[in-house]
Amino acid sequence: MARERILKGIAVSEGIAQGSAFIYESKRIDVFKATVLSLYLEDESERFEKAINKTRQDLINIQRHLNQGIGANFAEFLDAQIMMLNDRTIVEEVKKRIREDKVNAEYAYHEVMNDYANKLAESHDSYLKERVADIWDITSRTLGNLMGLTHSSILDIPDQSIVIAHDISPSEAALINPKKILGIATEGGGRTSHTAITARALEIPAVLGIEGLMGKIENSESVLIDGDRGMLIKNPSGGRVQFYRRAKEKDRQMEKTLSPYCGMPSKTADGKHIDISANIEFFSEYAHVRKYGADGVGLFRTEFLYLTRRGSPTEEEQFRVYHALAERMKPEPIIIRTYDLGGDKVFSDYHEANPFLGWRAIRVCLDDLDFFKMQLRAILRASVNKNVKIMFPMIATYEEIKRINLIFERTKKEMRAKNVKFDDEIQTGIMVETPSAAILAEELATQVDFFSIGSNDLTQYTLAVDRGNEKISRMFDHFHPAVLQLIKRIIDSGHKANIWVGLCGELAADPLAIPILVGMGIDELSMNPASIPRAKMVLRSIAVSTCEELAAAAIGFRTALEVKRYMRRMMHEKFPSIEKVTSS
Amino acid sequence: MIKETIRILNENGLHALPASRFVKRAEKFNCDISLTKDGIEVSGKSIMGILTLACEKGSKVVLKCDGKDEDDALTELRKILEGQD
Repeated sequence: MARERILKGIAVSEGIAQGSAFIYESKRIDVFKATVLSLYLEDESERFEKAINKTRQDLINIQRHLNQGIGANFAEFLDAQIMMLNDRTIVEEVKKRIREDKVNAEYAYHEVMNDYANKLAESHDSYLKERVADIWDITSRTLGNLMGLTHSSILDIPDQSIVIAHDISPSEAALINPKKILGIATEGGGRTSHTAITARALEIPAVLGIEGLMGKIENSESVLIDGDRGMLIKNPSGGRVQFYRRAKEKDRQMEKTLSPYCGMPSKTADGKHIDISANIEFFSEYAHVRKYGADGVGLFRTEFLYLTRRGSPTEEEQFRVYHALAERMKPEPIIIRTYDLGGDKVFSDYHEANPFLGWRAIRVCLDDLDFFKMQLRAILRASVNKNVKIMFPMIATYEEIKRINLIFERTKKEMRAKNVKFDDEIQTGIMVETPSAAILAEELATQVDFFSIGSNDLTQYTLAVDRGNEKISRMFDHFHPAVLQLIKRIIDSGHKANIWVGLCGELAADPLAIPILVGMGIDELSMNPASIPRAKMVLRSIAVSTCEELAAAAIGFRTALEVKRYMRRMMHEKFPSIEKVTSS
Repeated sequence: MIKETIRILNENGLHALPASRFVKRAEKFNCDISLTKDGIEVSGKSIMGILTLACEKGSKVVLKCDGKDEDDALTELRKILEGQD
């Protein structure tokens, strides 16, 4: 029996998958140079034209196979690839080289494409740099066709496989079929790669960025992918398989219990409506928002737009994404949060000792107004259907919000002067996630239309605990009475100023926390799409009056443990029908 | 042959969408079309060529049209470069 071995990587798409490994290798193509006799030069050119035509057909086939759910994201870059392929100047250049240098088509084509790739790689523009990947994608496809290699396509992978690859090219990632592929593990790639986005959109468990993966796994070997913890387990032991099988069975049972709740209204047992909305990061996730029955998007993170292209996206590119999401979601509202980026992500040579207390999010935006206003304009333009709201992260002071409002008004004025359409009544809100904003909530509430409590950061900042630090992460607990008291203060302050207050941290999805938040009067809970059915089940089983009692008691304890013990006991006493979900 | 120096006023420079729109439009004309920037000349019918020019907003290019419908080509293509299309 082969020994079990655990390989660690980046968890990019949750879930567990077990099966046999299929090593998917896009063959490295070695280009050779050969001299072609004058007599055959015409044939060589013709062979080249045929290969180009074949590649074009391949790409058109890919477009046809495109996955419905992710189509919109991929159609555009496939169009770009086809256009590059159709470029007559390139075709003529290659044919000229074949003719004049008397060389084979493979060599001539590779040389020409290499020149273009190098020129684009030198550019300072991130959009152009990114096209280099497209050039290599079509080049290797065409070279494969020239050499008569059967292009190993992701479509040909046997059913029920776990794909093990060095990397998956964008045009292949577009073809991943969730019915055939159980899980994905790659050596390259990260959270924002095409593969990650695809896996998440299709709900395929995936772990990327596993160092030295390719040398460690063999074809048909038994592997298990844990997309929650970012692990690939080679030759999992009987005990391990049992453990995961049980976990999966439990998940399946739970899903069965919960799925009817997707379509039910988000109301308490005594009829109070509380919005349950979704936190999303990628446009393609809109499908999950619908599937799980969210009342809208409570948090649309925009960092990925920046990170996937390693640079600032243009106003137009941003607008297209925001507008597409608003269109898909209307009339449900979407809340777009402006960049929550660390300074180190924006400027490659910038580092700091304390990023969490440093130059990040709104602080970066307020120091680079062109950058900030470009995002504001894109969001405003996407608001024409009147279902877009805008939210600013990491507010710590009153001056910040005053300044943001001034910039926002100025931006709107400039757009009006140019006759650009937008929603004049667009709501603006802030994330309340620093203790100072929580304490000053009453004053801040007079400046905005809504609050959204970022409970994860609020907990980190209030308890002074970096949850990423293993030595102290157990001290991170959003049930801490200090955190709960601040949350109550924020909700009360918002309501005093007649604005609505939501919460978009992990606390929003915690079955033990929902009664406390409802008791405090929260108006909206925003969470991972997959957590929505469970939250609805909890919400629909509890009554506001009881929740108010629980909330009042919960904030009176001295420790997080006392709060949780109390809540468990109370849930057992008051709401036994949902114990199955609150006790796990 | 006619030519004109044009400042790129398109918001995002001549990348992505405008570049492909430019090429698609250029292909319809029955004349030779070229763009020159910083002394480098590329065919106006080549997407890859145009991309390598890396024309940002504000940069200057020379648009050259030579052939039967050169006047129409110049007028139409100028609009795309100036972001009025």
